[in-house]
Amino acid sequence: MQLKKRGGVRRKLARISAGLLAAALPPLAGQAAAQSYYDDAYGTKNDNFGPGFSYSQLDAALLVYHESGSRVSAVEPTLNLVMHAADGRQLSMGAVADAVSGATPNGAVPSILPQNFVTPIKAHGSSTSVTSASGGSTIIQLPPTPGQLATAALGRQYTVAANTLPVDKGFEDHRGALNGAWSQPLGGITEVGIGGGYSRESDYQSISANTHISQNFNANNNTVSLTLNSEFDSSFPFGGIPTPLTAMNAQWKTTTSRNKTQLGFVAGLTQVMSRNWLTQVNYAFDRQSGYQNDPYRILSVVDPVSGVPTQSLYENRPQNRQSHSVYWDNKLDLGPTVTDLSLRYFTDSWGIKSVTADLSERLQLGSAFYVEPSARYYTQSAASFFHNYLVGGQPLPAYATSDTRLGAFFATTFGAKLGWIVNKRSEFYIKGEYYTQNGNSHPAGAIGQLRQQDLFPRTSAAIAFIGYSWDFH
Amino acid sequence: MDGAADIGTTRRVTRLGPDYHISFRAMATPCEVRVETTDAAVAEQIGIAVESEARRIEHKFSRYRADSVVGRINAGGHLGLVVDEETSSLLECARQCHEASEGLFDITSGVLRRAWHFDGSDKVPGAQRILDLLPLIGWQKLSWRPPELKLPPGMEIDLGGLAKEYAVDRALAEAMAIAPLPMLVNFGGDLLVSGPRSGGIAWNVAIESVEQEGGMAGMLQLKEGALATSGDARRFLLRDGVRYSHILNPRTGWPIKDAPRSVTVAAYSCVEAGITATLAMLKGRRAEAFLKLEGIRAWCIR
Repeated sequence: MQLKKRGGVRRKLARISAGLLAAALPPLAGQAAAQSYYDDAYGTKNDNFGPGFSYSQLDAALLVYHESGSRVSAVEPTLNLVMHAADGRQLSMGAVADAVSGATPNGAVPSILPQNFVTPIKAHGSSTSVTSASGGSTIIQLPPTPGQLATAALGRQYTVAANTLPVDKGFEDHRGALNGAWSQPLGGITEVGIGGGYSRESDYQSISANTHISQNFNANNNTVSLTLNSEFDSSFPFGGIPTPLTAMNAQWKTTTSRNKTQLGFVAGLTQVMSRNWLTQVNYAFDRQSGYQNDPYRILSVVDPVSGVPTQSLYENRPQNRQSHSVYWDNKLDLGPTVTDLSLRYFTDSWGIKSVTADLSERLQLGSAFYVEPSARYYTQSAASFFHNYLVGGQPLPAYATSDTRLGAFFATTFGAKLGWIVNKRSEFYIKGEYYTQNGNSHPAGAIGQLRQQDLFPRTSAAIAFIGYSWDFH
Repeated sequence: MDGAADIGTTRRVTRLGPDYHISFRAMATPCEVRVETTDAAVAEQIGIAVESEARRIEHKFSRYRADSVVGRINAGGHLGLVVDEETSSLLECARQCHEASEGLFDITSGVLRRAWHFDGSDKVPGAQRILDLLPLIGWQKLSWRPPELKLPPGMEIDLGGLAKEYAVDRALAEAMAIAPLPMLVNFGGDLLVSGPRSGGIAWNVAIESVEQEGGMAGMLQLKEGALATSGDARRFLLRDGVRYSHILNPRTGWPIKDAPRSVTVAAYSCVEAGITATLAMLKGRRAEAFLKLEGIRAWCIR
């Protein structure tokens, strides 16, 4: 008798009994069938050692990100370990490393003339900076400015060709992040937990903490949860903190760091609707205050007639930002496939409204493989202070940014994941995604030469994941 | 039989720590409910509901009763019978189990009891006796066109391998409809809990020793789902040093060789745990390998 299909008989028996009970007892069937649905949908690999069993799960993955036009490239290995104790206690730890390099738009508009940009050299206080390190830029001698530090006499300059989107190629960073969390049942409460994280880049640091509580009701058919998040970030950019809406320059600024704090909560409700439908609704509120500017990003001030950039100003964003979002997720077991459909609506005090729709479909290919194609659509409106550029001779607004991430755009992501269930306790997967972002390249009212420039170049990126997960005692 | 009078005379309700414990006998086995409550009236109501459900299912599916659905099928099934919805879903479940187990799980194998009597003695039947019975075994020989079942003459069905576990699942649902309290329903070792006890505490469940009645071979902590045990602790034949288990292979008519003495399986429902434990026993020597390969949470005693 052949028993080659690992777990196949177990799943069949689970489905058979769920089928019988669904016909005979509605209150229990929801639970049993939902559980067997989870087994089928997500637990094909996961043995689900279940309550009362201690085990650990290890996930290792590598993400490779590449933007078109030799823009940003990133490599990101991650490692996660979750240890489950027999009595429901759970400890998880994770580590992420990032290496990011490439070119990033500096925020200025293209011009019919070549443009020069001057920024501080990266090594403050060093007079022996390596000129070739930042592709395409050179270290230049600045005209002496009375009262400035001696090293301010050096600056980094890069030139952008005519009719080309200005990008700064001197972009290279590493990031390391660690996180940990603990959760356990407490008294009559299904689960309480705390977590924390630390992440560090050469010019940014983030410390976060969270706590959550969740309670199951109604024979586990409902789960209500509440999570509180807090985060404390410090930004200490190369060249110091620029004064908002002043001209870009090569001098090291006297303020070297600024902070941002964030407080928020997420309230969630999960409900088993039927034996093949699970739904979840989350509401999230976030409040950020402090330094939210991108210290490297500038805006062009253009000539009101010709549209030629005459000056570059550092951007400025409001110090406070409050956001609300609602997320609705549905998992549907439609027989041969499992569908995950989610919608998210987001709105914030900066005037951004966004909608995300996400659809994925999991299809089992025999017992050892599955494929999961996915599609995502995202659209957002612009922040109230988004400007492609500022116009010379007009009063400066209090806040202004040309960061396209705060502009109006829509984006689509198409992807597919292929999983190989190596054995009951381990799974290997690869995933590919292709992302495109489109905005208004030719806004109405563009001035002079800007009418012929692409003010919102289409961005595309390819993302690849490769991962392995393993459950063990 | 007057069901109500019977319930009244056999059910016992006692206080046991934070629980009410209700016990009675049904399906030829001791049955119990543990309910975590201080409300005696609610405990009483739950006890009545669970016992009524046990007796309803016993009455409906017992093969020993001529007036049960199974009794009527076995007596007149060769003429073809239209069955009710509940019976239909149990038969459909049996069909699927037969298919999933590649013929090992077979509700028609009960006729082998005409030859085998597992009383601890050495009365092993003759080979010809078994061969004569084999033509009467095999689900595939039935005509099952839901809701109509037709048996070839001489064949019988026995839902005993499903009904007790099904009764546990049903009874707990009935009891939860009365009051959604933490509770455990246990019919002869096949049990289901509603979830953890209050405070997220697990229920302690002992696995009975096969050597010594009432002895304990291990303790399990159960927070959700079901446990069912298949075993032959007290039902076997012993001849010439060979122990014949009461688990019979429907394809050969002979006991499964080298089966574990008991297999306890954890699953989400009692039906699932029960059919899985039975199937593991039917794997004989390879029971543990089967359980491991399938990733089933189980405990075997050899």
